[in-house]
Amino acid sequence: MYDFSDRHIGINNLDKINMLEYVGSKSIKELISETIPENIRLKKEMNLKPALSESKYLSHIDKLGSKNKIYKSYIGLGYNEAIVPSVIKRNILENPSWYTAYTPYQAEIAQGRMEALLNYQTIICDLTGMQLANASLLDESTAAAEAMTMLFSLRNREQKKSNVCNFFVSKNTLPQTISLLETRAEPLGIQIEIGDFDQFNYDSSFYGCLMQYPGVYGGIENIEKHCSQAKNNNIKIVVAADLFSLCLLKKPSLFGADVVVGTSQRFGIPLGYGGPHAAYFATKDEYKRSVPGRIIGLTKDSDDDPALRMALQTREQHIKRDRATSNICTSQVLLAVMAGMYGVFHGPKGLKEIASIFIKKRQYLKGI
Amino acid sequence: MGLKQYNKYFFDTLLLDGPTDKIKKIAELNKINFNYINENKFSISLNETTSVKDVQKIVDTIAKALNIDLFEIDLNNSTNRFPDQLKRGSKFMDSKIFNKYHSETALMRYIKNLERKDLSLTHSMISLGSCTMKLNAASEMLPISWAKWNNIHPFVPLNQARGYQKLIKKLEKQLNEITGFSGTSLQPNSGAQGEYAGLMVIRAYLKSISQEHRNICLIPSSAHGTNPASAVMAGMKVVVVGTDKHGNINVDELKEKATHYKDNLAALMITYPSTHGVFESSIQEITETIHSNGGQVYMDGANMNAQVGLTNPFIIGADVCHLNLHKTFAIPHGGGGPGVGPICVAKHLVPFLPNNPIINVSSNESIKSISGAPWGSALACVISYGYISMLGAKGLRSSTEFAILNANYIKNRIENHYDILYTGEKGRAAHELIIDCRSFKSNGIEVMDIAKRLIDYGFHAPTVSFPVPGTMMIEPTESENIEEINRFCDAMIHIRKEIDECAETETNNLLKNAPHTMKMIMQENWNYPYSRQKAAFPTSYVLENKFWPSVRRVDDAYGDRNLICTCEPIESYQ
Repeated sequence: MYDFSDRHIGINNLDKINMLEYVGSKSIKELISETIPENIRLKKEMNLKPALSESKYLSHIDKLGSKNKIYKSYIGLGYNEAIVPSVIKRNILENPSWYTAYTPYQAEIAQGRMEALLNYQTIICDLTGMQLANASLLDESTAAAEAMTMLFSLRNREQKKSNVCNFFVSKNTLPQTISLLETRAEPLGIQIEIGDFDQFNYDSSFYGCLMQYPGVYGGIENIEKHCSQAKNNNIKIVVAADLFSLCLLKKPSLFGADVVVGTSQRFGIPLGYGGPHAAYFATKDEYKRSVPGRIIGLTKDSDDDPALRMALQTREQHIKRDRATSNICTSQVLLAVMAGMYGVFHGPKGLKEIASIFIKKRQYLKGI
Repeated sequence: MGLKQYNKYFFDTLLLDGPTDKIKKIAELNKINFNYINENKFSISLNETTSVKDVQKIVDTIAKALNIDLFEIDLNNSTNRFPDQLKRGSKFMDSKIFNKYHSETALMRYIKNLERKDLSLTHSMISLGSCTMKLNAASEMLPISWAKWNNIHPFVPLNQARGYQKLIKKLEKQLNEITGFSGTSLQPNSGAQGEYAGLMVIRAYLKSISQEHRNICLIPSSAHGTNPASAVMAGMKVVVVGTDKHGNINVDELKEKATHYKDNLAALMITYPSTHGVFESSIQEITETIHSNGGQVYMDGANMNAQVGLTNPFIIGADVCHLNLHKTFAIPHGGGGPGVGPICVAKHLVPFLPNNPIINVSSNESIKSISGAPWGSALACVISYGYISMLGAKGLRSSTEFAILNANYIKNRIENHYDILYTGEKGRAAHELIIDCRSFKSNGIEVMDIAKRLIDYGFHAPTVSFPVPGTMMIEPTESENIEEINRFCDAMIHIRKEIDECAETETNNLLKNAPHTMKMIMQENWNYPYSRQKAAFPTSYVLENKFWPSVRRVDDAYGDRNLICTCEPIESYQ
């Protein structure tokens, strides 16, 4: 009988013998001893549980999963249950043609997912009002941190000279985002101040600020006022926005936001106990050479036909190394593709209706 | 009910006053979770799935907790609490693409239309070196579609996520055994995040022993670009160490630099086997040198598929490593993510593993968050747990052995046609090999031309120009069968002959014109110095299983000069 390792490993016993002969080794053992230095070899087999057959594993993982209690969660905090349209679930999430592809380095054979990512970038630009969006980052909190560090490196000469390094964070920001900003700030010498925007003095020791829109517990007061004050004081603005709310709320570009970040999980991505979900990062055209992560852009092929490919790659770590704009490499393409397709499926009208339903349901709670 | 609601304006979330202890008790009986902020404040966030019945249940729950008579919600109540001054006036998603695929049939066909343009593992082997494009087995993937795994919020009380908690413990234990280390954090949600997390853990450790001034990070010149980028983010200063002519890290230079910086040496970042696909025999000498000069050793786990079951990061002398679960441990690449990059650490670093502000997952000394969620991309971890559980120790070891056998088989098959750049002391490759394409310049051929020509043969190119410019790095993995490996080798050998026919001065040839699209092949006038058949069906296998690229070679520079990153209808740019 075949076990799982026979399915996972492509070479059968007979092929193995022929291949070993071809490479001039008597056995796998001999080949390995010619490859890996003896002094670092494991002396015995690893101590792991015996392998489960596929059917045994499936009943095991089913049983283990039943220990998770699936309650209705109204916790929010950047994660909200969403409906994954079945057509997207079956044709993308569960489809190896989508999930086994690689990063689109060979553009000519990756036009499909790059079109899907272009759709995603377009949705992000439209909803946030910003000019340029990347093809996803890892999660909302890391996207906020990338915004903080991007603006840090974009400080003007004067600010750099006088070491302007303070970054103001609204106390109405997701706790996990605040924690992540603190992680990323410290080694770079960025000083974070967490507080109430109403009491913020917008002084020139701050190069940037971040606000959550709507706030961590739902409030959306005075964002316009805070943004215009920041702008007047030459403090750059990051808005961490709920993508769905932007179907009904004013787009952050109108307040003068420099970067808008957030999660696109609400666009039809399962909660998954925290991830994976695609974060978005949108900014102004003038910052395009400093944007972290991959950006899909339009170009032409050798017949002058339109074609897509990853744009402005010289920003990235595989070329710039220690001078790269970020260390990000792999992002969340499959989830961005799904979120983009959710937008294609519902369209602007559908999205607006879904967003209005949240509001209506919430109004029923007024009796409380 | 008279609860105070704090938000003057709001979208989907209410902030309320109330005895949270009492409310929580009843809510959990009713299988509901709210966000409890402190003893008398909580919030409720509604979502796409919330029905009127769900809202009634929320009201009932709170009423019961407050000992108030149950009442029915008023469906006619629609007082607007949405701020007029913040109401969106502008349109969005006007582009055609968002306004025509609203029926399921239409969307299904649109998805298929895009899918057909992309080459994936469903078509052929993707032998990308350092990417480990192995099988993502259906049984590993199935559970991620199940609500019991995918529909759970990251901040629920731990007793509602017992299945996950058990799985996380087991997977951490498995990864500890595989790496030889004592502790694992699943929080980093990509390999680069893992690198950063590992360096931050080293930093916290150095601080705990009053060595926080140590900030030099040694990195071999052949390292992945993420290594130096992560080191800079962790506040370290990068010092590059060169390689010798065999592709090994230059041990003399390393020793010299380690000694030179001994007062400030923080870490070495090293990939093992090296990015050149070689198990350097001096590895223990290297790690000892770092330790004796006060530094810590970070091992980049990108090449872990050559180690599992045969050696491990602990034995080679590392203190911390990240693993790419999306390489070695079967999470699919998803077209460029999701990835999961857990870090595994030696005992002295365990107390510093990252934490989360809402769910406490670590110790007092731990660093703050690396990702937003306590266990990062937890759902994807289910895939790796399945992979390890179904292979077991022997299956994992065999996988490594076959990955090495396959790479060496390819090496022997093509070495008379392409120069192999680096091999180990006994002439063996590890799990990947580098072929040198720089000499084809005399035929006017660049490595990128070979990559594009492979598309005509139905293959995705190996990794191009990493870690050495002008080369290709081939990693077959253990999952390919002999027929596919031979087809790939045949294609490479065939292309080698085509290269011989190219002349430096002539650019109108099979390789420079590759890839060939159907549109090009079907054009009325064929003005190329080779046949249509040779262009699109170079071997008989291709006839049976043709993959057509949807565009010809893309012009990178043009797009960067004329940046367009949103989808106005494509026609409008023609």
